[in-house]
Amino acid sequence: MRRPLADARTIAVFETRVLLADRTLWFTALATLVLVLYGLLNGLAQTGERERTITGIVARQAETERGNRDLLRQVMARAVTPDPFANPVDPASMGGGMAARHAIMPTTALSPLAFGQADLNPDYYRVTYRSKATFMYDGEIENPWNLLTGHFDLAFVLTYLFPLLIFTLTYNMLSAEREQGTLRMLLSQPLSVLTLLAGKLLPRIGALLACAVAVPVVVVLALRPESRHGDQLALLMLWAATVASYGLFWCALAAVVNAISRSSAANALVLIASWVVFVLVVPVLLNLAVGAAAPSPSRTELATRTRTITVSALARYNDLLSSDYKFVADADILLPKDGRLQIPERMQGLYLVQRDTDVELERLLEQFDRQLDAQQALVDRFGLLSPAIVMHEAMASVAGNGARRFVHFRDQVGAFHRQWKAFFEPKVLQGLAVTEHDLDTLPQFAWTERPAADARAEIAGRLAALVLPTLLLAALAYARLRHFRPI
Amino acid sequence: MIRLIARRELTELWRDGRLAGAGGLVALLVCAALAVGWQRQHEIAAERTAAQVLDYDDWVSQQERHPHDAAHQGMHVFKPEPALAIVDPGIEPYVGSTIWLQAHRQSELKFRPAQDATGLQRFGSLSAAWVLQVLGPLLVIVLGFNSIAWEREQGTLRQVLSLGVAPRQLFWGKAVALGGAVTTLLVPCFVLAAAAVLYASSAAPVPALARLGWLAGAYALYFGIWVFVVLGVSARVRTSRASMTTLVALWIVTVVLAPRVIADLSRRWQPTPTRTEFEREMQHDLNEEYEHAWREQFGTSVRWGPDLPLDKWGISLRVDDHAGYGVTDEHFGALWDTFAAQRRFQEWAGLAVPILAVRSFSMGLSGTDFSHHRNFSVAAEQHRRVMQDLMSGDLIEHADPLKDRHFAYQADRELWRQVPRFVYDAPSVGWALRESWPGLLVLALTCALSAAAALAAVPRQRML
Repeated sequence: MRRPLADARTIAVFETRVLLADRTLWFTALATLVLVLYGLLNGLAQTGERERTITGIVARQAETERGNRDLLRQVMARAVTPDPFANPVDPASMGGGMAARHAIMPTTALSPLAFGQADLNPDYYRVTYRSKATFMYDGEIENPWNLLTGHFDLAFVLTYLFPLLIFTLTYNMLSAEREQGTLRMLLSQPLSVLTLLAGKLLPRIGALLACAVAVPVVVVLALRPESRHGDQLALLMLWAATVASYGLFWCALAAVVNAISRSSAANALVLIASWVVFVLVVPVLLNLAVGAAAPSPSRTELATRTRTITVSALARYNDLLSSDYKFVADADILLPKDGRLQIPERMQGLYLVQRDTDVELERLLEQFDRQLDAQQALVDRFGLLSPAIVMHEAMASVAGNGARRFVHFRDQVGAFHRQWKAFFEPKVLQGLAVTEHDLDTLPQFAWTERPAADARAEIAGRLAALVLPTLLLAALAYARLRHFRPI
Repeated sequence: MIRLIARRELTELWRDGRLAGAGGLVALLVCAALAVGWQRQHEIAAERTAAQVLDYDDWVSQQERHPHDAAHQGMHVFKPEPALAIVDPGIEPYVGSTIWLQAHRQSELKFRPAQDATGLQRFGSLSAAWVLQVLGPLLVIVLGFNSIAWEREQGTLRQVLSLGVAPRQLFWGKAVALGGAVTTLLVPCFVLAAAAVLYASSAAPVPALARLGWLAGAYALYFGIWVFVVLGVSARVRTSRASMTTLVALWIVTVVLAPRVIADLSRRWQPTPTRTEFEREMQHDLNEEYEHAWREQFGTSVRWGPDLPLDKWGISLRVDDHAGYGVTDEHFGALWDTFAAQRRFQEWAGLAVPILAVRSFSMGLSGTDFSHHRNFSVAAEQHRRVMQDLMSGDLIEHADPLKDRHFAYQADRELWRQVPRFVYDAPSVGWALRESWPGLLVLALTCALSAAAALAAVPRQRML
């Protein structure tokens, strides 16, 4: 009587012994472990650097705000004559740069899992009432050669290298037995080829998933305490399920290739060719197709439009801009009287130029984010063509470094910028001096995370996009193995 | 004899379908990439040229206004898209293309195309260079992995050698066949690339074609390396299966894995500053330099007051600008030198990882590397300084005699016309070679080394 589960277990035990004896398992598991840990350490280092940068920005901002407050008190007490371009009671000075606040997108507990777009898109902006064109186009400094090469992060290890490591253990599961002449002998026992393959797969998958899934989970839980709770823990579990599914996809592909009953060399060739197609070629072609189907608006045109908008705004306020700073002859003008301050008309003109430029630019800039959304929707739909794309996108989303979170951040920066302008505009145009109370009520950027349900749904969708083809391949392997001919 | 062996090998490669199948696929991908590259380059180049003309016309036709406000409006300059970007877009997706030349401060090129793209961009962009650099070696492996090993397995190697064919003759025959097969596939692609480049560079076709010629030479060396590596491994290992496994592993390590590790190492060796560090340090030095210059020039560092009336605005702008030029040159120069050092590190690592050397040389000669980007940035900054000096000079000349009507002064088109049109002459082929020579040298050295190693693997006793 056949006992498939018990037989599979027995085969798994024997197979483990063989794999350990010929050192293949040791070698592959060790290689996986080293690559995974190196990728993870790079992720931890990059996240640490981002967090140190942000801590430094926050500390310097707090220091600047303390300095502004002290200076404002001294000015109000007539203890000092303020610098005309750094006057704490002047809303034009304060809102235009002196009191500028940073809008910051924090890292998440799972940021070390993938660099995503974090090396390209800024996670902080210094917001003033000046036009978005003055602060929204900056990026982090990085050698473009290195951006082109890409980073050695965990997402790279798992997306690119993990399938190859799986192949080294799975390409010859049945073909090697056939080539050694032992397959016929094995199948002459009361043992189905399905049970044999399952028993062979178990130790291989087990060892690789332990290195690729369990180790990063343990490291992240140990080093990033915030990952042990709530939404982040749920995301970490989804991450583990996604990586496991991705690994199983390639295992299922190897099972199909083994079931087709060719030589080990042919199996290896077919698997490598599949990897080249799915991991290298399809993503590059899809990138091209997405860019063609939903092209970004022209940045050259944006530059031209920015200039024409600025020119017309400068012309509109030419009279205000032509007025002089009166403080040169009368320094007392820099001090408030009854809560009012004489704002130089030239400064008011400059504010209005920036405001008008921004209103017109807003629509243009929105087009870029909307078009990026459209591209992302295409990637979501057609990314199913390659499990590597699904995996790569899922990794970036889990880590909070995906394109969507950056667009979400820029939307919030836009809202904060509007709030900042609304706070300062009446003061600049009506000549209202900044008070200590104003410093207490200055708009503060408060980061709002994407709804956890959205992120979970996005990743669950990608997980399904991996599970489905895996099941299809498993079904195909099953169908082939039912009619398997060992000779 | 070598010719005879080569002909026989080529016939076999053709008959077993590998040359037509794998080779045809790669050639098709290269042609498709060239078509896409041509369309992209054509659109971008036309748009930027038109925008550049429009920008200057707008500058000249602006209404009467204060020269400093005109300098604030400034002008945009657009980096021209080189003709050879059709073949290798290099770092173009990761650097800006537009720079706004404005008063006060050196600016960087903005608008990196990758920021307007999804995460898919990080898998790479389809270009002829990408196909040749990444998939090209795989093609050589597929065509040649069993070249010698299979003969050994079949027992024909012993027979051939017993006929008096020298092992080295056999080796060179197979090398010529493998090289010939790759050349046969890529020559039509090269002709197509030459036609596209010729069309795109109709104003100055000779330098562009010369650059393409150098590129062809570099890729010939790159494929030469892989031909020798493939034959060396095929001669060294016992079976074609082991040959395939070894070569694919070598390809994965050198093409997929090592470039990222080496990029990491280069960053550790020459760390790149963060934007906040860079800007903070530059601002600190600028403030010190401004204060020093103002004290020296005006005897005070207080900006505007009884000691320094507004009629000195023009001269103060010039003092600020000239004080800042040295500081910005020093800081941007140091940052760019860091990038250049990282590139050199990776170029020399090309001795073990040839893709790094060919990538560097390919983008260098295509005009899409950081050296060309830097050259353009420096030219744009020089133009900004010309514009700034003219505006400040006019303000000095028209210093307000009434002392309190400074901003009432308005210049007219006579002044705007004095600012020359921004004309950027792309660096010569010689300049590009001087910047990128290590890549070519590394390729030549690696090719020679791999040929020597392969020849060392072919003595009779090892072949049998």
